[in-house]
Amino acid sequence: MSTLTLCFRLNGAEVTREIPTSAVLAELLREEFGCTGVKLACSRAVCGACTVLLDGVPVAACATFAFRAEGAEVTTIEGVAEEDPVRRAFAEHSAFQCGYCTPGMILLAKALLARNPAPTREEIAAWMSSGLCRCTGYQMILEAVEIAARAGASA
Amino acid sequence: MSGPLRADALEKTTGRALYTADIRLPGMLHAKVLRSRVAHGRLVRIDATKARAMPGVHAVLTREAIEPGTVPFYGYFIKDQPIVALDRVRYEGDILAAVAAETEWQAAQACAAIEVEIEPLPPVPTIEAALAPGAAELFPEPPIGMVPHYGEGASAVARPEPNVCFAFRYRMGDAGAFAECDHVFEDEFRFSRMHHLHLEPFVSVADCSRGRIEIWSSCQNPFPLRKEIARMFRVPENRITVHVPYIGGGFGAKNNCKTEPIAVRLSQMTGRPVRFCLTMEEGFLTNTQHAAILRLRTGVTRDGTLVARQAEILLDAGAYSDASPLVAEKAGYRAPGPYRWRHVDSLCKCVMTNTAPAGPFRGFGGTQAAWASESQIDMIARRLGMDPLEIRLKNALSLGEPYMPGESGIDSDLGAGLRLVADRIGWRSTNRQPNRGLGIALGFKDGGGVNKPAQARVKVSTNGDIFLHCGTVEIGQGARTALAGIVARILGAPAHRVAVAPIDTDSVPFDQGTNASSGIAVMGQAVAQAASRVRAQVLEFAAEMLHASPAELALEDWHAVRGEERVPLAPLVMRHFGGTGFEFSAEGFFKARHDPRAPLETPCVFWEIGWAAVEVEVDRETGRVSVPRLVVSGDAGRALHKAACRGQDEGAAIMGLGQALFERMVYDGTTLLNGEALEYRAPLAEDLPAEFVSITQEQGHGPGPFGAKGLGEGAMLPIAAAVANAIEDAVGVRITELPITPERVLTALQARQGRSP
Repeated sequence: MSTLTLCFRLNGAEVTREIPTSAVLAELLREEFGCTGVKLACSRAVCGACTVLLDGVPVAACATFAFRAEGAEVTTIEGVAEEDPVRRAFAEHSAFQCGYCTPGMILLAKALLARNPAPTREEIAAWMSSGLCRCTGYQMILEAVEIAARAGASA
Repeated sequence: MSGPLRADALEKTTGRALYTADIRLPGMLHAKVLRSRVAHGRLVRIDATKARAMPGVHAVLTREAIEPGTVPFYGYFIKDQPIVALDRVRYEGDILAAVAAETEWQAAQACAAIEVEIEPLPPVPTIEAALAPGAAELFPEPPIGMVPHYGEGASAVARPEPNVCFAFRYRMGDAGAFAECDHVFEDEFRFSRMHHLHLEPFVSVADCSRGRIEIWSSCQNPFPLRKEIARMFRVPENRITVHVPYIGGGFGAKNNCKTEPIAVRLSQMTGRPVRFCLTMEEGFLTNTQHAAILRLRTGVTRDGTLVARQAEILLDAGAYSDASPLVAEKAGYRAPGPYRWRHVDSLCKCVMTNTAPAGPFRGFGGTQAAWASESQIDMIARRLGMDPLEIRLKNALSLGEPYMPGESGIDSDLGAGLRLVADRIGWRSTNRQPNRGLGIALGFKDGGGVNKPAQARVKVSTNGDIFLHCGTVEIGQGARTALAGIVARILGAPAHRVAVAPIDTDSVPFDQGTNASSGIAVMGQAVAQAASRVRAQVLEFAAEMLHASPAELALEDWHAVRGEERVPLAPLVMRHFGGTGFEFSAEGFFKARHDPRAPLETPCVFWEIGWAAVEVEVDRETGRVSVPRLVVSGDAGRALHKAACRGQDEGAAIMGLGQALFERMVYDGTTLLNGEALEYRAPLAEDLPAEFVSITQEQGHGPGPFGAKGLGEGAMLPIAAAVANAIEDAVGVRITELPITPERVLTALQARQGRSP
């Protein structure tokens, strides 16, 4: 099995690991770094439960080779502060139920607000459609993103 | 803040919440299975010699590795699903063998090396094919099973005819009532099949390495799972522990055995913990909703009074019985809808086909029944020239009126809910735009399960810290928050003082399962009783210490309160019980009372209602239907957490909207064509109606604590029919088959134009 040495920043900390070249980012984060907030559901880059930010860009960690993280900043839900306005909005607005899509939804929302601090409802719905939530019917999630935007989440 | 935080808010928004999929044990192996590509056939030969020799492989489970004396079948009333294929395979995806290896990859590689010879039998892809004369039989020999005892009017037969595993019938009143009707309408409806699409996969970890069976499972009913594993493996129940962490969604799928028997057997064989986690693709092959054909014959008088209804419902049970007999009871029993009838004769059959096994799904037969019934009520109104709202108001059962003889009374004001959603959508508005129409529907089901017991325990420490032990799993519905809230309110404590203990079957009191929207109306009553008993204990203790009578005292934030006097309890406890303190503890119990007159063993605990009104717009050129406005409402009785109630109703409504318009498992014969996330179209945020209103009613008539009752299924029930009803209102065509695709609408529009050019 060929391996490579991977160096990247994970939630603000420099990390280095010897990994198989074929390693998948989601499994690396979950199994090597204990980031179990990276949820695996469809494993086909469709549902968004495993969404992480790679240099601020949302990617499906289930379908991303780990070597893509070389030199990059990887943000998982574990790297989102408790005081983060998006996380708080999801918690306080009960914009979750089973919670399995929630880490991905929060990271997706953070990426949106970083690009567009004051999105319209339509823009939020279009963007958040990268994530599948089977529980909530989405409306409370969309409202949470609006609440976070009003609270200045892009700052 | 939108109301109080849910108890699981911090864990679930920080990624710290642990699910079964996250459980790792030292020395743990991973399981994968080999699935049949043949839909129906005799298993002639299975040879795992090569697989056993592959790297990392510790064990291969084939039919030869079933331990003699064990019973390798599971199911509910009928135990017909084998752990691995024995003599036959019955659907594409049926499990032939399982491998435990150091990694999932090694296990999968080994599965591919298993040699299998299957002699094909004629496939039975559909309900019609299964019932055709001379059809191949999935079970030529009857499997083990039972038929429950029923009360007045209800009956059932196991295996009444080839390829039918169970038939339920409910009869009430005299069939002569049809003769007194001015009109008798016969209509047929078709209901398509969805997959639950829970995001957390079916997963379990089993550890049999210490002379016991210990299971971590994403399972909605830990105690029935324990019982089933004990029965199959012939192990006493006190040698089995089932742990259930957070569950990442279920919608009915995560009942009874799924991954657990294979994980247990492989752990027995290897002496190591074994994790068996399905992919989402395998999830599609593991459990589904029931497709159905529903035929309704309904007699009415010319003034729109409903008189008599005959229903024949054929459920596609798939290859194994699973919960199909239970779903048949409910589909059959719910087919009349919440209306006043003089005669009902409802028959529901579970038809076996060579497709994925169907089982419990949010609505549990009620969704199928409501689709047909609420469509036909609307069609009848239009045929009689009546307002669809008026025909419902005229015939709906009144508050307190028994659903059927021997039943409990309806505990929601159905008319009030109908008027509420009708007013919100603008039912009476005369300002109609072309190709737009309004539809209304009334969904209903009996809630709280059949004859369902629940027990709970509440403990309070010296310092007033409260523990709630109960077996209701947190699957997203907010059960922990709501049940802890009941305890807090009864003990006069802030909600954050109540911790809900993790679930394991050794230490948590018995519970039949988290299903049938029963958390509040069934478990809630057990929890309330436990909390009330603890409260009584504490007040008696405080009264003795303070030389007062318990009636003079109130309990408030761990103080005994007498008028203006507030006495902290912790020092009193320490003084009396010594420095290490004490725990007050009490148990609570609830079960509906038996009544031989009740059709389903006990009168229904509560009635779960969903009201919906929609506006649709139909594109006459493409047949595409859009839903610009959707109003949905449930009745929480009393909402124990408003945001959680709202979320349940909205989630259910959107699931119903997907079912109405596009979501379905597509089969080509016995082959599932879209069994994976990309091709399976489920609702996304961009599918929401521009105006999506949900109203949580609190009518206050529920049997649960403070007048509460269950919700979470009800709001799914009326949606599909409301959409179909609105389409007829908009463009004059009636769609009777789900989903309501553009092709179906266009075909109907063209057929209508053909008739009246």
